[in-house]
Amino acid sequence: MSAAPEELRAEGLSLGYPGRMVIRDLDLTLPPGRVTAILGPNGCGKSTLLRACARLIAPLAGRVTLGGADLRRIDSRALARRLGILPQQPLAPEGITVADLVARGRAPWRGLLAGWSARDAEAVDRALAAVAMAGLRDRPVAELSGGQRQRVWIALALAQETDMVLLDEPTTWLDLPHQIEVLRLLQRLNRERGTTVISVLHDLNLAARHSDHLVLLGPEGLVAEGPPAAVLTEPALQRAFGLAARVLPDPVSATPMVVPL
Amino acid sequence: MRWGALILALAALAALGLTMGEVRLGLPDLWQGLWGGDGPGALTVRILRAPRMLVALGAGACLGLAGTVFQTLMRNPLASPDLMGFTAGAALAVLAALAAGLTLPPPLLSAAGGLAAAVAVAALAHRRGEGLAPLRLVLVGLGLGFTCAAASAFLLQRLPGPEATEAQRWITGSLAARGWGHVAQVWLPGLALAALLAVQVRALTLLELGDDLASGLGLRAGRARLRLAATGVGLMAAAVAVAGPVAFVALMAGPLGSALTGARGAGARLAAAALAGALITLAADLAARNALPGVTLPLGLLTGLLGAPYLLWRLSREMERGEL
Repeated sequence: MSAAPEELRAEGLSLGYPGRMVIRDLDLTLPPGRVTAILGPNGCGKSTLLRACARLIAPLAGRVTLGGADLRRIDSRALARRLGILPQQPLAPEGITVADLVARGRAPWRGLLAGWSARDAEAVDRALAAVAMAGLRDRPVAELSGGQRQRVWIALALAQETDMVLLDEPTTWLDLPHQIEVLRLLQRLNRERGTTVISVLHDLNLAARHSDHLVLLGPEGLVAEGPPAAVLTEPALQRAFGLAARVLPDPVSATPMVVPL
Repeated sequence: MRWGALILALAALAALGLTMGEVRLGLPDLWQGLWGGDGPGALTVRILRAPRMLVALGAGACLGLAGTVFQTLMRNPLASPDLMGFTAGAALAVLAALAAGLTLPPPLLSAAGGLAAAVAVAALAHRRGEGLAPLRLVLVGLGLGFTCAAASAFLLQRLPGPEATEAQRWITGSLAARGWGHVAQVWLPGLALAALLAVQVRALTLLELGDDLASGLGLRAGRARLRLAATGVGLMAAAVAVAGPVAFVALMAGPLGSALTGARGAGARLAAAALAGALITLAADLAARNALPGVTLPLGLLTGLLGAPYLLWRLSREMERGEL
């Protein structure tokens, strides 16, 4: 949060399993200090790309770099202090409370034998306050609603205090108001702390409203990247989704709004 | 508070175990027997009952720890080393060496057998793309466990009479004829492995969040998993080397310990499981020695009687939750 934000780049990146390539020879720069959404049809490799960016899967070819260094060359804990990932379906241990779960985000900052420090406690408090869950800190996670639970997971990623947060479909199981709430929270995080936010999203219109930068993938690989207005165009949607659509300016935010034909 | 009750129950059972038996001792005899003197009390306590009790405590605690490690790693209350066939594999290795006339230390044999069983079960249950599904592990493990038990029974038939009686231990699990040497045999590796496990509690805590998030938090999840599994196999093997493949202690200790103490974090649950494992084993051994006058039943028979209903209850609960 102090030094200049570092950029995450894919260079000649191929991902998948031997015999089933999902992403082929992709070159992509994810701009630092911005909110980026990765979009595309099911099975195009959105999540795979995000997971490779967090070093959860190894590339078949090419590499991912952070600040110019190959991810594979960065020590695990050092990486975990710079880049946080919220996977699609993280697991909450049975009976765990909100604060205990968020506290686990401090793992990369704690020494093997070091106890719980004041700095750890502050980070957890800040994270809970940022997602407006401070009042529910002692509640079991299992008793929360879907939207609240997602906020707790985001708080865990915030407690990790990384400059960059990657989120795999953070809005998927939520109803519309909660989706908007999560996306606004991520945007606020970016504006207030300068955190780079990169998420895989499904809803094109919401992504356009709440992101600075879009990456649109199709079955054949990268279709377009750039500011929402440059990416969500009628030909691009046709290529990525095979979808015939009209793109109009959103009457509220003036961002592109996709209306299928 | 509830931890105190658990420890108190353990102490009470230990005292009861020292006084009860074919020769019934009063508390004064027991006290005298523990601290000196050379009356009949001293002989009974120091030669017969104290080592047996300490072996029961050590083996039970090791099984409790091992069970909780695997149940936590696999996120499934059925994934314990006894149901997954590891204990049967460990016992088969000890018995095979015995039948072949090899004199190697039982803990090493048991560890080698347990490790071989674990690797075999993991390899058979593994599916590409899906990894290790807990239920498949348990089913494959049950199959391997039965195979190992059958092989053990076959080897037993070929042993000469007196050795065969003694070797019965490797079929059902028993604490008969345990001396101070066996106490050291379970406590030394047990304590060393428990210390090793203590260092890995934080890794286990992260793995509870799923491998992806654990990796994102800086843990090398695959390696951490392997190290924890190896520690679990070692703990299980230390217990089997002195007590045989005692059934269901590893399965029951974790849930019982957590229920009794209300422990939630991984470290607390492990500690509770160690205590509960010791408690179950001690209680079962007490019953094994005193249930029928003049007859000492094998320990494994009693834990089997306790564990089978628990297993049925657990299965029905898993079915209700839609896990089976």
